[in-house]
Amino acid sequence: MDHKRIAIVLAVIWGVVAILPVFFGSTNLYMHILIMCLIWSVVASCWDLIMGFAGIFSFGQVAFFVIGAYSSAIISAKFGVPPIFAVFAAGVVAGGLGVLVGLPCLKLKGAYIALVTFAVHMILEPVLKGDIGRAIGTGGSRGILTIEPMNIFGYTFLSSEPIPYFYLMLLVAIICSAIILIVIKSHWGTAFLALKDSEDFATCLGVSAFKYKLRVFALTSFLTGLVGGFYAHYVGMLSTRMLGIDLFVTLMVILVIGGVGKFPGAIIGAFITIALNELLSPLGPYRPIILGALVVVLVLLLPDGIIGLIQKILPKKNNGLPIES
Amino acid sequence: MKKALTLLLILVCCLFAAQSTLAQDAIKVGVPLAMTGPYTDTGDNYWKGIKMAIDEINTNGGLLGKKLEPVRFDTQEFAPERVMQGAEYLCGKLKVDSVHAGWAGWGQDVRAYGKYTAPFFADDGSQAAVDVFKQDTKKYKNIFQLTDTGINQGQSMFNVLMALPYEYPNKKAAIITADDAWGTEVGETLKENFKAKGWKVPLHEVVPYGTNQWGPILTKIRKTKPAIIHVEIVSAQEVITFFRQFMKKPTNSILSYGYSLVPREVVGTMGKEADGLIGEVPTAMPTPKAPTPEAQAWLDKFQGIWKHLPQAGSWAAYSGVKAWATAVEAVGDEKNHDAISDYIATKGYKGETGWWKWDADHVMRAGGDVPIAHYQVQDGQMIAIFTDPPTKPYKDYKFQVPRWIKK
Repeated sequence: MDHKRIAIVLAVIWGVVAILPVFFGSTNLYMHILIMCLIWSVVASCWDLIMGFAGIFSFGQVAFFVIGAYSSAIISAKFGVPPIFAVFAAGVVAGGLGVLVGLPCLKLKGAYIALVTFAVHMILEPVLKGDIGRAIGTGGSRGILTIEPMNIFGYTFLSSEPIPYFYLMLLVAIICSAIILIVIKSHWGTAFLALKDSEDFATCLGVSAFKYKLRVFALTSFLTGLVGGFYAHYVGMLSTRMLGIDLFVTLMVILVIGGVGKFPGAIIGAFITIALNELLSPLGPYRPIILGALVVVLVLLLPDGIIGLIQKILPKKNNGLPIES
Repeated sequence: MKKALTLLLILVCCLFAAQSTLAQDAIKVGVPLAMTGPYTDTGDNYWKGIKMAIDEINTNGGLLGKKLEPVRFDTQEFAPERVMQGAEYLCGKLKVDSVHAGWAGWGQDVRAYGKYTAPFFADDGSQAAVDVFKQDTKKYKNIFQLTDTGINQGQSMFNVLMALPYEYPNKKAAIITADDAWGTEVGETLKENFKAKGWKVPLHEVVPYGTNQWGPILTKIRKTKPAIIHVEIVSAQEVITFFRQFMKKPTNSILSYGYSLVPREVVGTMGKEADGLIGEVPTAMPTPKAPTPEAQAWLDKFQGIWKHLPQAGSWAAYSGVKAWATAVEAVGDEKNHDAISDYIATKGYKGETGWWKWDADHVMRAGGDVPIAHYQVQDGQMIAIFTDPPTKPYKDYKFQVPRWIKK
């Protein structure tokens, strides 16, 4: 699909999302869920970019999200940096760490990258809880229980009044999805396609796998860290519980439902998964069982996710909807 | 595929319908507990107490003539947004008139539920939660902690360890705790106390949940031969594996499990094998014999319903519901949350063992009619051998020197 049609699809998605507060704005719970959908849609899209498009089996996305969240909270609290600048600084911290992780990772292939990046996820919790964490202000096992709310030009975004924060996050999500779209449609995207088809051949043509993959590592880590910062100032408290398996699995389900490497499937997947998770909540211990079973069914019926279903429904002309890795 | 999608749509519709079946004329009671994930066991202990109290009130005609209707919310692993979501769901959307939790977020819950007015009862046992409360005592006036902090419980564990009728072979202690707020609070408190008393702490390990290979730590223990080994990991698998691996070549050490003794699976799985282990429960109903006839009646009723002795949190959570219900009856309006919170804070509640009085930080401090009970597993059962503070033996029960200690 050409640039314009993808932009139209994204515009439709975001347009629909933008009017949701008209229906749900009176209930803070629904607005909270929608804000979380926006946050996870960015994180999942970044993960999709790195895994689905660039073909890097990175399992460090949640870790970069948590690094961004903690960085923003610490930078704003310790150095008095306004939250809006702190979140960008947090993005830089996460992006920098992404490069540091990416440097050794990109010398590896496939499952080994997954192992190294998952190791980053695993060691983050003891680091944040331990002496190093406490020294830099993570609060150790207690976490950070008071984080300044987001403030832009004197306007404070309170979690108790979620509609303004929803539109702020919508703006962030739109910008992030636009950046991801530009990357996919740029020579980066072409390079990834060439590298996935035949890395040796692409390399012979002068495509540097290392260079492009490192860039995408840095970019996705930056965006994920940035959104982590927005999360911290919205929720107002942080703990290493974010590194639990539940969030990790939720993000994986988002990708599976949306379709791996089928942007903007991750965005649709985020809204479906989070809504489904909430609908299943009253079932308590049966929630993960039913969610897991649904994922199995969906993988069998829709191996390309929701986007695959849309492709089947739409006429088969080469309209390119959506972009495939 | 069409059939599968139709089924999916039907399921979603059913779930929507299930969410909107709450009775209109009932008093809704929020119950945010871990129903999935690593804290499911403790969540289940709290739920048993809460359900027992709600059923009891409903059987006796309800509260102000209305039935109580519990609404459960799965807090999973207490991620910040999940804790916040629980408050938005129960207090914001469903507008429940009280919330009864157990472990609820160690301070995160105070922030989340403090935004609303419905009385909130938690069993955080955490100084972090108290510190958040102190930031704005007016705003958080609806928050009530059912147990004392980890620091004070750690102090109590130390008091009882020193009061045991047993002559320690040396003055060395090993401390192994989980890497959560609870574990570190208790571990640090014990360490400070041991050192102040002239003891050495040659081993202080902080381990993550899920640790079940204890070889390296046990090697250090066997080398240093401490007189006391304290393990504070509130999860059955970890403490059972530790005990079994320790018993392959035990040292002459008192094994103190603190609050780790209470997941029901510990004694349930090991039975008499666990004999000799000691531990504690704050806000506890001492067992097997309760301190008062009323308490004994409660204990018998609990055993009749659930077919086992109450574990940590069951009685505390039960009492939280009853304290709130008493306050609602006194105020006469379940919607007058401020007055209800004021009533609980100032008048307290008379329970099965005596008076419950929350302090200025809205914490049920250990002592008085609601002390911390210290247990030893004897004949496969948790037997209360001490209460604290003040530290005193409980009834006629005696400490038994564990079978692995050679004279």
